[in-house]
Amino acid sequence: MTAGPVTTARAASPLHDRPTYRRLEQIDPYLLIATLLLVAYGLVIAYSTSFEDRTAADPLQAVARAVVFAGLGLGLMVAAAYFDYAWFGAFAPLLYLLTIGLLILVLVIGHNILGGQRWVTIAGQKFQVSEFAKVLMIVVLAKWFADRHDRIRSPLVLLGALVLLVPPWALVYRQPDLGTSLVFVAIFFGMAFIAGARLWQLASLVAVGIASFPLVWSFLQGYQRARLTAFLNPYADPQGAGWNIIQSLIAIGSGQAMGKGLTAGTQSPLGYLPIAESDFVFAGLAEDLGFVGSLILFALFAVLLVAALRIAFRARDPFGTYLAGGVVAMLAFQIVVNVGMTMSLMPVTGIPLPFISHGGSSLLSICLALGMLQSIAMRRDHNRLRT
Amino acid sequence: MMATDQRAFVRPRRFVAMGLVVVVLLGMLTARLWDLQISNGGRYRALAENNRVLRLPVTADRGIILDRNGKILVRNIPGFAVSVVPVDLPRSRETEIAGKLGVLVGREGQEILDLIAAQRLRNPYEPVKVSTKPVAREVALLLTERAEAYPGVRIDAESIRQYVDGPLYSPVMGYVGPIRPDELAAKRDAGYLPTDDVGRTGLEWQYEPYLRGTYGWREIERDAAQREIKTLAETPPVPGGNLKLTIDDRLQRLIAGELQAGVDKDAFTQGVGVAIDPQNGEILAMVSTPSYDNNVFIRGVTTAEMKAFNADDRRPLVNKAVGEIYPPGSTFKMVTGLAALTEGTATRDTQVNVTSISFSVSGTSFFDWTTHGLLNFLTGFAHSSDIYFYSLAGGSPMSSVRGVGPDAIAKYAHMLGFGQRTGVDLPGEAGGIIPDPAWKEEVFGRPWSIGNTYHEAIGQGFVAVTPLQLVNAYAAVANGGTVYVPHLLKEVDDPQGNALLVKQPEVARRLAMKPEDLRLIREGARLVVTSGHAYMPNAKLPIAGKTGTAEFGPSAGRDSAGRNLLGFHNWFVSFLPKQDNTDPTAEIAMVLFTFNSSKSLCDSCLNPAVAMTQRIYEAYIQGTPPGDKKAGPP
Repeated sequence: MTAGPVTTARAASPLHDRPTYRRLEQIDPYLLIATLLLVAYGLVIAYSTSFEDRTAADPLQAVARAVVFAGLGLGLMVAAAYFDYAWFGAFAPLLYLLTIGLLILVLVIGHNILGGQRWVTIAGQKFQVSEFAKVLMIVVLAKWFADRHDRIRSPLVLLGALVLLVPPWALVYRQPDLGTSLVFVAIFFGMAFIAGARLWQLASLVAVGIASFPLVWSFLQGYQRARLTAFLNPYADPQGAGWNIIQSLIAIGSGQAMGKGLTAGTQSPLGYLPIAESDFVFAGLAEDLGFVGSLILFALFAVLLVAALRIAFRARDPFGTYLAGGVVAMLAFQIVVNVGMTMSLMPVTGIPLPFISHGGSSLLSICLALGMLQSIAMRRDHNRLRT
Repeated sequence: MMATDQRAFVRPRRFVAMGLVVVVLLGMLTARLWDLQISNGGRYRALAENNRVLRLPVTADRGIILDRNGKILVRNIPGFAVSVVPVDLPRSRETEIAGKLGVLVGREGQEILDLIAAQRLRNPYEPVKVSTKPVAREVALLLTERAEAYPGVRIDAESIRQYVDGPLYSPVMGYVGPIRPDELAAKRDAGYLPTDDVGRTGLEWQYEPYLRGTYGWREIERDAAQREIKTLAETPPVPGGNLKLTIDDRLQRLIAGELQAGVDKDAFTQGVGVAIDPQNGEILAMVSTPSYDNNVFIRGVTTAEMKAFNADDRRPLVNKAVGEIYPPGSTFKMVTGLAALTEGTATRDTQVNVTSISFSVSGTSFFDWTTHGLLNFLTGFAHSSDIYFYSLAGGSPMSSVRGVGPDAIAKYAHMLGFGQRTGVDLPGEAGGIIPDPAWKEEVFGRPWSIGNTYHEAIGQGFVAVTPLQLVNAYAAVANGGTVYVPHLLKEVDDPQGNALLVKQPEVARRLAMKPEDLRLIREGARLVVTSGHAYMPNAKLPIAGKTGTAEFGPSAGRDSAGRNLLGFHNWFVSFLPKQDNTDPTAEIAMVLFTFNSSKSLCDSCLNPAVAMTQRIYEAYIQGTPPGDKKAGPP
């Protein structure tokens, strides 16, 4: 205790921080353990799917790559935790511009994969900018809401946040990356809700969204529409739009209680299960590890999300609270939509499953977000330290 | 603790709400997961296996068919067939794929679409064969290599049936063809598949159960692109049994060569030849000409070809040895004679004095072909006197003999195998007609007349027999009184040549006739050749036989060649004793029948069947090489 108690959240300053070793005591153990176990789970699944992929030249290489990214991610998490998250807030305007700039860059020089222009190559590695854009936008929105938390009930604050959201959202949507653009929307609503925006205002926005749905629909590409509606009745076109969903259901169901065992699944190796390492990775997991393995995953996710919510609840300032709330919204949305998609409960939108889907960008951006959460946890309410 | 207002930015109820939303959503996912993995896990496991594992039938090679000496008459050659598994063919691409396949296998795309649609209703997981004829190797390769471009399309190696001498044996062998849906429904339990061929007629039909074999199964793992990854399990097929026939290819060729030469010379339009072993009923040769090339049905008969077959009034698709009935003419005098001898109304010494070419009974004249003078049984038979046998059957002004009557003739005719199927191992056998007064009353509603008796006595009128019945009856006389069931199958062998089944001679009945009467007929038949109606110049073998002719006026119309439609038939039914005596030692009996021999419509002309019979016996017994070298074995 070097400084006196922080009187208001806004007065909190990175410049009055406490020594690192004291803050280590305040690391959230639940979040940390859940994170480490989920990263490990992701590696196990990476191993299984890589060895199930009979087209892969060298499955070990894919596993090694996953291990490297896990290490990088954990490093990034430690780094993010070390810094006072307030710095992110301080640089929020710059981060906002950086986000937009990167997204424009992707549109200009990005690689085209699976009908979407989502990737840029940095130092020989492909990065999916929109993954980082999600986390950066959480920071930006948290800063926006935090600076105006005493006027949060004003519709202008909500509309202002919406205005901030539109340019990156539009850029992501333009790629086109429908899934990530929906995550942006989820983040926005989640944060506004946690921040205390009036419910009728949020409801109005939802109403406007629903009302404009036909318009949005008319802008969608044919393949997007087919994917979005296929989950309603995949058997209407079992060989076409419904194929992925049916094969995913077969993979999951055939896992039964205990699963077929790691690398013993058949749906993915034989090519029935599409994109088995990213969008439909959960189906492969459920096929290999069954109901038990899936429940363990859900439990880890539940611990992670509740721990994150607790961090948000106990943060020292509105920025921390909203930042953590945004991360919860992002992760929860991605988990529910991705898993729901593989089980034919949600439309197929191409959203990765946190930790489990292969993809360095996704893992790194999530680790960054969780590092920030630990940073918030480590710098939570000082009064608690005295007790 | 901090003041509450300082932490007004934290709204507990919203945190609780958000936490609840997360928990509820995860709970929903868990519920759905339970539904998929626990409640319906077994079903999805089966679906995953269905995806992955395909149980493919491994067809068994159909048995081949050989002659009694092991010469191959029907065999299999490798080929390819194209099938479609409807469940793997996206509906949206059906028309396109069917069109492409149509071009490749030479069919209308619509036909293939119809097949696929029908199979979808029946069982979409089961392949339906869309190629009707063997597919070219190049086509098979193209479809195999570009499997992705042809979803649901399968190429199967297939055995193609090949009839080595199509027209020579088609009346006997028949052919195989694709199984029909109604047959499939009935035979599915026996392991038949929609892609199967079954014997449609002939021996292919008759011995289908032996020839077919038992299918094996192969479970393969396949990927989403329908490529085979590996074989998981295999049950080998059991090939069908090989049929060894009683047929002697050399004799078959000799008979066919003679008959074909006659047709080629336009001496007659159709011919039938059947040779049989009188000692056991084995059919040594069975020729029916003109016939057809049964390989046509394997490669897929065209509409035009089928029209031509049906339009041909010589009925090439019918095995006339068993499937058509003809008046036996004078060959039937054996029956009349045996009836009279057995009933005791006549003996070898019964005399008829044929002093005139005809006699009249109640205003109707009955003719003989010449004025024979005094005849006894042997000379009457040898010279084929009509009046002698009128007298034996119904009495006549030229003799004191009492007619044996139509009922007795019918009784012994049936005993000799006429008027009923012989039971030969071929489909489509006709029974023939042996009239008697009750039969005429029933069919025509009119009473029997003495004229009917006379006509029956000489094998005219209502009497109708198949060539096989006739030779079988003479064979029974030639062997001393046993009527065998004639048969084509000698044994069924497994592929290693071990006999699975050996056909034993089957006795239909023994003739309730006196041995000396049968001997008298054999004696008479020999006399027919040595001094009678069927004189053979320079005869080297003790051939015995009986001629027959049957003649029809133009009342039945004329055929495309301008002949009387029913025309003029010549028979010669013969047997060959071991020595020139009357012992029942014959090991070969033969009937030759020539249909519509209008060119030889004269009583003094030699029956063409007689000379042909002599040449055939001599060539066969004495090993003279067949005259037609082209027809010989390669």
